[in-house]
Amino acid sequence: MKKQFAFFLAGVALLAACSPSHNEEPPTPAATTGVFILNEGQYNAGDGAVSVFDKTTKAVNADAFGSANGGAKLGDVVQDMGVQGNKGYIVVNNSAKIEVVSLPDFKTAGTIGGLHEPRYFTATSASRGYVTEWRGPFTGYLPGVLSILNLSTNTVSSQVTVGRNPEQLLALGGKIYVPNSLDNTVSVIDEATGTLAATVTAADGPSSMVADKDGNVWVLCSGFVTYLSVPPFTATRVSNGTLLRFSPTSPATQFKLTFPATAGPSRLRINPAKDQLYYSFGGAEYQMSTGATALPTAPFIRRSFTGFAIDPRDNSIFAGVSPSFSGNGRFIRYQATGAALDSFTVKVGPNGFVFY
Amino acid sequence: MHCFLFRRPLLRAALLLAPAGAALAQQAPGAPPDPARPSQRLAEVRVRAVGPERYAVGSQRLELDSAVLAQYRGATLADVLQARTPLALKNYGPGQLATIALRGTSAQHTAVLWNGLNIQLPTLGQNDFNLLPVGATTRVAIQAGPAAALYGSGAVGGAVLLNTDPDWRPGLRGSVQADAGSFGLAGGSVEARTATPGVAVRVAASYREARNNYSYELREARGPARYTLQNAALRHQWSLSPDVAWRVGLAGELTAAAWLTDADREIQPGAYAAGSQARERDQSRRLVLGYRHVAARQQWAVRGAWFEDVLNYRDGDALSNSHVRTTQAQAEYTVAAGARGSLRLGAEAQRFNAVVDGYGSIGVAENRAAAFALLRYDPRPALRLSANLRQAALPTGLAPLTPTAGLEWDLLRTPTDSLTHSPIHSLTLKASVARSYRAPTLNERYWLPGGNPGLRSESGVGYEAGLRHRRAWGGGTRFETELTAFRLDVDDWVQWLPSASTGIWSPRNLRQVRSQGLEASTALCHQQGRYQGSVQLAYHYTDTRKTQGTAADADPVGVQLAFVPRHQASLSTDHRWRDWQLSGTFVFTSFRYVNASGTDFLPGTGLLGATLGRTLRGPAGTSLLVLAQAANLLNLAYDSYPSRPAPPRSVGASLRLGWR
Repeated sequence: MKKQFAFFLAGVALLAACSPSHNEEPPTPAATTGVFILNEGQYNAGDGAVSVFDKTTKAVNADAFGSANGGAKLGDVVQDMGVQGNKGYIVVNNSAKIEVVSLPDFKTAGTIGGLHEPRYFTATSASRGYVTEWRGPFTGYLPGVLSILNLSTNTVSSQVTVGRNPEQLLALGGKIYVPNSLDNTVSVIDEATGTLAATVTAADGPSSMVADKDGNVWVLCSGFVTYLSVPPFTATRVSNGTLLRFSPTSPATQFKLTFPATAGPSRLRINPAKDQLYYSFGGAEYQMSTGATALPTAPFIRRSFTGFAIDPRDNSIFAGVSPSFSGNGRFIRYQATGAALDSFTVKVGPNGFVFY
Repeated sequence: MHCFLFRRPLLRAALLLAPAGAALAQQAPGAPPDPARPSQRLAEVRVRAVGPERYAVGSQRLELDSAVLAQYRGATLADVLQARTPLALKNYGPGQLATIALRGTSAQHTAVLWNGLNIQLPTLGQNDFNLLPVGATTRVAIQAGPAAALYGSGAVGGAVLLNTDPDWRPGLRGSVQADAGSFGLAGGSVEARTATPGVAVRVAASYREARNNYSYELREARGPARYTLQNAALRHQWSLSPDVAWRVGLAGELTAAAWLTDADREIQPGAYAAGSQARERDQSRRLVLGYRHVAARQQWAVRGAWFEDVLNYRDGDALSNSHVRTTQAQAEYTVAAGARGSLRLGAEAQRFNAVVDGYGSIGVAENRAAAFALLRYDPRPALRLSANLRQAALPTGLAPLTPTAGLEWDLLRTPTDSLTHSPIHSLTLKASVARSYRAPTLNERYWLPGGNPGLRSESGVGYEAGLRHRRAWGGGTRFETELTAFRLDVDDWVQWLPSASTGIWSPRNLRQVRSQGLEASTALCHQQGRYQGSVQLAYHYTDTRKTQGTAADADPVGVQLAFVPRHQASLSTDHRWRDWQLSGTFVFTSFRYVNASGTDFLPGTGLLGATLGRTLRGPAGTSLLVLAQAANLLNLAYDSYPSRPAPPRSVGASLRLGWR
């Protein structure tokens, strides 16, 4: 009996030591009520965190990574998070890494290092991920990089040079679209070959992208403000913001809407039905139908946010508020109509939401 | 060795404007009796000027003992304050930026004066206490509580007073010291002084470097991981401070003092931040020339000062340079007001010329001026009063008028000991009320983008009251206890906040802050035969909260401010027997929040330090002091600032060759 038990133990140990099969697709998780709030944290204080909000109980766990991993800190400047199967990939910009966690318990499942100024992440399968990275000092940025990640080994498998300051990428139809926010281009990378397939000329400062219900790509370009490269760094708007749309089959044919010069638009989002766009402009949030032919003039929510997202499960809206970076921020929930529901305190600088 | 709480500057300062007969009959401390040269003796008494502290009746004042300063001679003011006092400092690491938070206020709320002149960096309006080597000055005092009437802008939480006093003892004396310690610490210093009846000269210089390559542990998700601190070296830090005093006639004294400092530091990055090569070069050149004329019942003084402060920061290819020249002039006239009082009237002017990258390509100039009146009146020897007033004029208009009133009343006072002239037993009630202001800094006014030229001065009002008890026994035992309760309100407190529409950070007068607390200290000194020993215990309770804010100020009301520990306590004990000396220090700091929300905090710390030394006597007045020092003896792993691991246990040794 004792011997049998020992064999049993050895078997369990063997099973535990086995690395998961590389080709196995993780099971799709059951629908949950969790919302992950990304808290950027104070620069250089190492207090970036992901808070977990449970929509049913309205309970907030301010630092899910810390509480799941013995008080370990996530790192400095939490920039983005992607989910693939039951894994979460948290991009920690100033720590130059991606922390991999199992979901929903947030226990560590590895770290992807070898990165430099990582910005935004997306994954197309359990073994394939992408992260945009900046290169160069702020006084003279260089063309950035799209790192192709092997999510089975948590390593960088190859890199593609894109434009300067690549931001919120979009995976669509076997292509990865990378907006180069310090240029006027979108780099298109072919998933199968992992190489640059095309460079689409957009407008100045493309920074975020979504795909609509018709399979079109929308690119929000912030426009350029130049700062004198020497003090006093005076700001001058040299190009206005642009919202543009193209079909992946003919990216050169673009529908363009130009913003007024008063501010630069940012943070393009789309609703779950993929027919309503959202973006922030001049301290307010706007909503626009994908069929519209002009930019809306009246704001959807007249308020400045540091993060904005629509919950695909019920169309409710989550918006991050960071009044200062010297104290905790909070998020506000809105009904799909824009009517405020409630708000909850999280950590410093909430800048994004993930629904899981 | 002194028991520092007993060193009341009052006793020294009281000489001058007492009735003339009394002044002539007394002797200045340190002046050797020389009956053959009575005129010389008189001159020594007469040129001893009255310091501004004489008008700070009822205020809490802490003067660091010269023997303590000698122990920390190779260190910085931040090191000695953190080891020896219950004062809160915000410290980014060894040799890194260290700022003070007196009575719960911010770094800009403590005026730092060197020989009576404000040396706060005009751009930032604060001082890095790790850039102030201890050996450069001969006297360090901290006056807690608002004192703008005496010390001008910035004395909201208090003032730190650094002075280099001429040493008129004849002959040549000096010392050379070499230091070495853990984590690549190496340094050295020299001090020499000489005096003739007409001229006193002192020169102090020091050098220090440290690699600060200690290891620390981070709790990571995969388990604890050990790292070696990178990019945190003090590449060099030197200080040179010559000063000279000439006697001019019987009543005049001309002084010149300079203080040059230069530090080249790597800037310690956050422990979670990926590689950084940030470096900072700080250079200050300070020169003050003064003349004072001291007669029996009046004195006047003029001073001119020229400062140059360089702060050049570089991170990779990104540079941020700043260079400020400050020109200051002060004049004051002091006259006896009857037999029991004295009145001082004065004025000062400052001009700043700044070339700062953040202000644009052109230089910025700003003028400030102030006038003040200080009155001290002692209706009876047991009742001392002061009333002061200052009005400053700033580019934006008049600063808040800052009056001060103070009282000290000896409730109990036994007859004076004929030998020491000090009371054997006394109990004194003290109280003061003061207003204060802080002029906007150059960065707050001129930074592009975001500078706010319309920013108002911050204003403060403070109240404090307390008791001081002293007891001395015939043998050589003294005991002193002081208890102070204070309340401090600061209005128009400035915060930098991002604009909702443009995101540009800008300073605004946003909030009111109230700080209240208790400060208790007690000291026991004993001397017997060849043994001298003392124990000092001090405790500060500081409760500082935002009480009100404008709509733009989202930080919560009623939460203890970040980096202000509620409880701080320090225990230090010094013993000297024959040629041996032994000191121990323990400083407890309670947890402190690291942001305005009152959720995240740095845990409390208890830091133990010790010093052991032996003096070997050599021929011809020479001596060799061997000192061994240890810090963080309990090897506590802690962060001095969020994500800035502090050094583990460290040791150091010094050799000092002295002659006299």
